[in-house]
Order: sequence, then C-alpha cells, then structure tokens
Amino acid sequence: MEPLDLFGMRESYNRQQIMLCFNGPISRSLIEEIGNALRNYLSSENAPASSAMDVFAVYIEMTQNIRHYTRQKDWTDPEAGATVVVARDEQGRYVVSAGNLIESADGERLQAAVQALAGLDKTELKARYKEQLRKPRDEQASSGAGLGLIDIARKASEPLEATLREVDASRSFISLRAVI
Amino acid sequence: MNDFSIAGTQSSPAIRGDWAQGLLAMQGDSYPENSYELFHQVFTWIEAYLADAGRPLHLELRLLYLNTSSIKAMMDIFDLLEAAHLAGKAVSVSWLYDQRNERVVELAEEFKEDCTFPFDVVSHD
Repeated sequence: MEPLDLFGMRESYNRQQIMLCFNGPISRSLIEEIGNALRNYLSSENAPASSAMDVFAVYIEMTQNIRHYTRQKDWTDPEAGATVVVARDEQGRYVVSAGNLIESADGERLQAAVQALAGLDKTELKARYKEQLRKPRDEQASSGAGLGLIDIARKASEPLEATLREVDASRSFISLRAVI
Repeated sequence: MNDFSIAGTQSSPAIRGDWAQGLLAMQGDSYPENSYELFHQVFTWIEAYLADAGRPLHLELRLLYLNTSSIKAMMDIFDLLEAAHLAGKAVSVSWLYDQRNERVVELAEEFKEDCTFPFDVVSHD
C-alpha cells in the first residue's frame, strides 16, 4: 500500500480552503453529526446567520438526496458512499459539493435538470419551486431530487454545476457543486 | 381531551397539541430524512380537531430550518387549514422568529402567500 501523506493532504486541504470533507458510506446519524460540525465551524467563523443557514440547507439537501437515491436502488455501503466537501472560494464564498455513484442514465437526467435550472433567474426558480411543491409525492419520487435541486439552486449565487464521469458500463460518478 | 406531544431532537421539532386550548405548537429545526412519518401525526391531530372540536384552532410556530420534505409536509398542513377557513372555521397561525434570522422570515412569508386565513409572521423580541 502506498503510504498516506497526511501532511500533503493537509497542505492541499488548506490551499483549497476546505473546511470539511468526508468520503465513505453515509448514514442518517452521520449526516446529522457532520451537519452539526459544519454549523459549529460556520458559527466560529462568524458567518452571517443567513449564509450559515444556506450552507447548512444545501449540505442537508445534497446528502439526503444521495441517501434517498442509494436506498431506493438498494445499494450496498461501498456503492452508497458519498463524497462531500465544504470549502471557500477565492472570494470567500462558501462552496458545497457532493458526489456519488449513479446509474449513467439517471446521471444524464440529473445533469440535464441542473442545466435546465441554470438558465432561470430567482423569480423563475421560485415559480418552478412552488409548482414542484404542489406535485403529488409519488410523482416527485420518480422525477428524483426535484424539489431539493430547485431549493439548492435558489440558495446558490451562481448556477449549479453538475459533472458526470463514467465509472463502468452502467454507472457514473456525479458531482454537484453549489456556490452560496 | 386528546392532547399529544413529541419531544424535539436535533433534526426534528418539539410538537405539542393542546385540545382544550385549541393550540398546536411546533418549535425547532426540522430536517428528518422521513418527515412524512413525523408530520403525519400532526396532520391527523389537526384533522380530528377541525372535525370534532367546534372551536378555533391556533398554530404557534417557532420553526427555524426546514428541509424540503418538511416544507412539503407543512404545506399540506397549511392547505388543510385553508380548506377549514374556506368552510367557515376559525383558524390562525403565528410564526415567531428571531430578528437575526432573515431566512426564517422569508420561509414563513412564502407559506403565507398561499393562505387567506390570519397568518402573522412576528419577531419575538
């Protein structure tokens, strides 16, 4: 096994202003605990209450979407893992990113949904959000991450980005990135 | 008569239904993975109260952060109140917030847009 270079990892995290990162199987309680740590970090950095709440909200929606998706697929722990990073960009804005394995067809659909939202302004996003909120629950479940995705887009200060990388014949890794 | 209370946790609000007072109070954050289970009890209590109590119902909310599935569940509750209001029943909501948290006001105001019954969004200090 290649020896772990913890110092190198630390330098890289610091350089990229990563406040918090996680990689592995994610449970309900882990989402809450990491969320707690995130809130504490934000409060110790004296982040304004509204940005702290937006960062937390985006983190919760992204991770719970991953949980819902992987449980719906009935995947095992290693497949159902999430990669989550909360960082700051050069301008000091918070950036929340989360990635997970996804069936390639679902990944393409999600990416198309993200791209469709990217062209909407805040008023259009609100209209889309209210429309989605009124859809029956089963319809929401089948569309996958509909309401959560719009909610994330509404809290973001830039259009969301979704990148897809092929892993094998049927699966890909999707990364979603939101700048608050 | 038919009171109920659910203790709050880190990710779910404290909820109390007082039949004699005609009061339903909810306080805290709400982001459980499955908010349907939690809110179903609240929904059922409100439905029973509106059908049987024959008295006004008031909701006192001190909710902070709601994930989207909790927002959906709250919308179902407000729709229930709206239907009762249109049927001539006395229902009202007050949503109390801390002035420092403008996101709570935005959330409450957005719910209020779709309601015609008395819905106050008030700062609690």
